[in-house]
Amino acid sequence: MTERAAAEAKVYFEDVVLGVPFETPAMTLTETHVALFAGLVGARPADPHAVPAILPLCMSSGLGWRVPQPPLAVLAFMGFEWKFLKPARVGDTIRSVSKGLAKRGLKEGGVLIEERSILNQRGELIEMGKLTLLVARRASPDVPAADGGR
Amino acid sequence: MAGSPRVGRVLSLPAVEPGPGAAFDDLNVGDEFTSPGRTVTEADIVIFAGLSGDYNVLHTDAELMKTSRFGERIAHGLLGLALQQGLLTRAMPAGGDDVSLGLKWKFRGPIKIGDTLHVTARVAGKRDGDAPGWGIVTIERRVLNQRGELVQEGETEQLVRRRATSPP
Repeated sequence: MTERAAAEAKVYFEDVVLGVPFETPAMTLTETHVALFAGLVGARPADPHAVPAILPLCMSSGLGWRVPQPPLAVLAFMGFEWKFLKPARVGDTIRSVSKGLAKRGLKEGGVLIEERSILNQRGELIEMGKLTLLVARRASPDVPAADGGR
Repeated sequence: MAGSPRVGRVLSLPAVEPGPGAAFDDLNVGDEFTSPGRTVTEADIVIFAGLSGDYNVLHTDAELMKTSRFGERIAHGLLGLALQQGLLTRAMPAGGDDVSLGLKWKFRGPIKIGDTLHVTARVAGKRDGDAPGWGIVTIERRVLNQRGELVQEGETEQLVRRRATSPP
């Protein structure tokens, strides 16, 4: 690991405490978010105020970097299951709440199951699911080493 | 895209916009679709990092990633998910008002700058929705790179309007 990498604090597999919820700051979804996403993905919704279902999910990753703890030392985002419960509209303000559900140690790290919920400004649950993450152990020699991202 | 071009006909690629009026009734279990290709660029990753706020070094630090086992930055997994969705809308009939219900997804391998992705999809199931006039379609999707390697796969469920009860 380089000195620069070491300088960024991380939460390692051993540090993860299950069941403790972390709530992110909120962010208002704007026409700009929708237009940028539509341009990037190449699918433009007919209604410009409709928020594509996977946009809040994508934004919850970055919101998760703004909780009062360092980011997880994610080696790989292995997979996830997700439910879209209510549509979001431009002008809605979303936040995300995550907690560790289960962890299982492996030789080179450990698998963490994280439950994540996305709520709107009225506290309504709009999306939720479970993410499977491969997280580095404190002693891992080569962070970062794998796929994904949060 | 079957059939040979005829003299006097204008050749065209499949429309980017979803076809009008595609409905639950138009999809049959076993139907298969293959999307066009798309080359993932550095710009895609930079825009996605800015939009999502996910600045993980995996996606943003070219120098550090030279020392990783990938040797370079890789795309966000969720960028791959988003790109495949856009690609498949260019290949598969869809109504304008389909509603995503959920998905199960596996990230199988890295996506690197310059990789060209395409999606293969298969209608895996159809069933009634809770609301009359709607059905639920399950679609299996595989995201492959230019070497035919599977980089992501999963299945999605979406509500699709039925033609029979659609307003004219």
